[in-house]
Amino acid sequence: MSIVVSGGRRGLTDPEIAKVILDAIPDKPLETQRKMNYFMTPRGKRINEYETLCCYTQPTPDWIPGGLDWGDWTQKFHGGRPSWSNESTEMHSSDWHRHRDPAFRWHALYVKDKAEEWRYTDRFLKAYSADGHVRSIDPVWRDEVLGDYLGAFGFSEYGLFNSHSSATRDCLGDTLRMSIAMIGLDKVDNAQMIQAERTFLAKLVPGFDESTDVPKNEWTKGSIYKGARETVEEIWQGTYDWNEILFAGHMIYDPLFGQFVRREFFLRLSSYYGDNLTPFFINQMQLYHSQTKGITKDMFHTCLAVDENFGDYNVSLMNMWSDKWLPRTVNAMKDFMGIFSKIPTIAGVSDKAAIEAALERVFDDWQRDYADPIGYKVDTAAMIKTVLSGLK
Amino acid sequence: MAISSATKAATDALAVNRAPVSVGAQEVHRWLQSFTWDFDKNRTKYSTKYKMANDTKEQFKLIAKEYARMESVKDERQFGSLQDVLTRVDAANRVHPKWNESMKVISNFLEVGEYNAIAATGMLWDSATAPEQKNGYLGQVLDEIRHTNQCGYINYYFAKQGQDAAGHNDARRTRAIGPLWKGMKRVFSDGFISGDAVECSINLQLVGEACFTNPLIVAVTEWASANGDEMTPTVFLSIETDELRHMANGYQTVVSIANDEAASKYLNTDLNNAFWTQQKYFTPVLGMMFEYGSHFKVEPWVKTWNRWVYEDWGGIWIGRLGKYGVESPASLRDAKKDAYWAHHDLFLIAYALWPTGFFRLTLPTAEEAEWYEANYPGWYDMYGVVYEEWRARGCEDPNSGFLPIQWFIENNHPVYIDRVSQVPFCPSYSKGASTLRVLELNGKKHSFSDQWGERMWLSEPERYECQNIFEQYEGRELSEVIAEGHGVRSDGKTLIAQPHTSKDGKLWTLDDIKKIGCVFADPLKAL
Repeated sequence: MSIVVSGGRRGLTDPEIAKVILDAIPDKPLETQRKMNYFMTPRGKRINEYETLCCYTQPTPDWIPGGLDWGDWTQKFHGGRPSWSNESTEMHSSDWHRHRDPAFRWHALYVKDKAEEWRYTDRFLKAYSADGHVRSIDPVWRDEVLGDYLGAFGFSEYGLFNSHSSATRDCLGDTLRMSIAMIGLDKVDNAQMIQAERTFLAKLVPGFDESTDVPKNEWTKGSIYKGARETVEEIWQGTYDWNEILFAGHMIYDPLFGQFVRREFFLRLSSYYGDNLTPFFINQMQLYHSQTKGITKDMFHTCLAVDENFGDYNVSLMNMWSDKWLPRTVNAMKDFMGIFSKIPTIAGVSDKAAIEAALERVFDDWQRDYADPIGYKVDTAAMIKTVLSGLK
Repeated sequence: MAISSATKAATDALAVNRAPVSVGAQEVHRWLQSFTWDFDKNRTKYSTKYKMANDTKEQFKLIAKEYARMESVKDERQFGSLQDVLTRVDAANRVHPKWNESMKVISNFLEVGEYNAIAATGMLWDSATAPEQKNGYLGQVLDEIRHTNQCGYINYYFAKQGQDAAGHNDARRTRAIGPLWKGMKRVFSDGFISGDAVECSINLQLVGEACFTNPLIVAVTEWASANGDEMTPTVFLSIETDELRHMANGYQTVVSIANDEAASKYLNTDLNNAFWTQQKYFTPVLGMMFEYGSHFKVEPWVKTWNRWVYEDWGGIWIGRLGKYGVESPASLRDAKKDAYWAHHDLFLIAYALWPTGFFRLTLPTAEEAEWYEANYPGWYDMYGVVYEEWRARGCEDPNSGFLPIQWFIENNHPVYIDRVSQVPFCPSYSKGASTLRVLELNGKKHSFSDQWGERMWLSEPERYECQNIFEQYEGRELSEVIAEGHGVRSDGKTLIAQPHTSKDGKLWTLDDIKKIGCVFADPLKAL
């Protein structure tokens, strides 16, 4: 038959074409090794689908540890700076391809989870509104705390989101790059969920202001988020080392400030003020925090801290970065204490003892999960005392 | 607890209407532009000579969760087809062998482009000041991860289920051996991520995506389908649905700088450089993959190129940007000449260097030769006669001791690599527009095949210092290089690359290559 095919004829279904194809196909497969990426070292016993689809997509040369390519970059920045280089971070690795998302999420799995969360959010909001739950929220909590201060916290999440842009550009490994982009998207999702909640409340409560004007004013000019804002600005735009950006944001600031604000303030207190809407959104943020924690602990603890050649050096650097970012974060938490003067105090819930207990939970968790694994010595009691000094 | 007037109003409203209420993506998105704030250090980490406007909007107004919903629906369709019906009909074993080989290259090389676009759009997300513009780039960051995974899935699928897994199963390791790799990195990797951020956007979105994804991702599906491959259309057309958003991002990049003085000074030069950068590789390589990598032919590449690149992009798409001062690239005319012959020139060299590939190549059959001659008059006298000679000398047979690259050496037709594009060319045996230009800097010689690349190098030589394969491997024996680059199958001796796809043909081994004693030499040293 002619080799020219027109009219959209398909080789799979057109009998005439299919015969030619089948006649050309070898009687038995030419290769018995059918496992893609068979040459790589898997995290578990076998190479999984995530590793197959993600690992070694980064085309770096072998002078960037872990790379399989050779030679130089074919085009560089103006002035000759390389496309990617070891100098982009102070951290050292014997193999920048080692990181794994502990949940082994490639794109399809990641968006599937988030799509389900969106669908469920839609169903939840419809049920919530039809059920009239909104009537039970304390007006001060609703109008001032959710309207202004939750709104302002959205800027913290948005700023952290933006800190992932240069890390997405500059990092040196494929699984790293995908993880960084995904945890970045989770942060903007948090900011958008906060706005979604405020917009939802505006639909249900006449006069509720969904505008971002007041929250932005609080974030940029108010005292409650001053320390947080300065820290986020420094992580986002003041820091160039992509590992330091991730370490500052996800190993110090968010597990302390973010956890206190989300879990110990909005999530814990909301039900006491008749608000069972905010926990729905904050719980999604907490899920993302948990997934991000798995990812960043894998990056810093599982890979870099125990690197066979650079582990000790990396741990020292992480300790230095902790020294740098911890005081700023503690200061941000201290400033945030001002929020307790804005809400009616509930004994055992939002009084000083309860706040101290909440701080202990956050600092204890951080010490166990983040400081101890790198041998970072920290006096959490002193830090809690500093934070509490911010109470008005 | 005192009830506020707002609570009372909400309570009253509920008494009248208890219709369920939710929040739509657009209701959230409309606030996005106000999510940022001014502060001293708020500037990009990637310099650009342009100023992106603070109020730039995006065209696809997505929020994170709505993005995920949309992509997830597409994934369900795509992976459902692949894992269900296409597997049940054994579709991977109903693909013409020549096309099976082409997909080793097409899917893996596109994967590199998609992967680097993650970093490229990360840079643009950093560079833009407007939150909506950042959001548009962010969506693309996630898309590019999707596409990277999708391209990988094609190779994964073919490796697991197809007729020849070698090359599909280890392309990410073996791709670096051959002469097509470095040029691919220029267009698909470094061209997207290394440079002025807006220049990179022009490379990626305005040229790479708006111009070449149509032939690369859409036209390829017609060729695939004609040759029995339904996996590629299933995946690539799903990729293409995202590309529209990326083209819109490129458009918005231009919109965001339209009122900047720098745009009137530099934009058309950057566009011209980007177009030439992209076309210099894609025009010959895509044409080669389609025409020489298939059995059944859809249409001559020159026609596809003319429709998508010259008319659709150079005319309509760039025309739409005319109001922002954008002009069709000056190099478009030279590119049009390349669209006719450059892929034939490249295949001649690619076949001559077949052992360095991670795929099998096939000499044109008599029937194909007729098709080439009919569509490219003069083809036979230039190329057909050479292929006949190579075949007669036994180039497909491991016992012949003949590698086609020997023909180039015997006939004094040296093959050079263009320093800027990294594309190989043979100035003394070529019907395309390539001409040899050699320049020297600090005692090192550099070859160029066209004026556009030469100009880029002359103005910024420090950007193009990469060694080519002849320099890298100079003095080394071919089988040694192949072994080092893991270019062998699982038996440890048979090459992944082969000079035929005949099911009865013998397969070449490392020993067959070693016997020939082929040693890499840098042609620039002879000048």
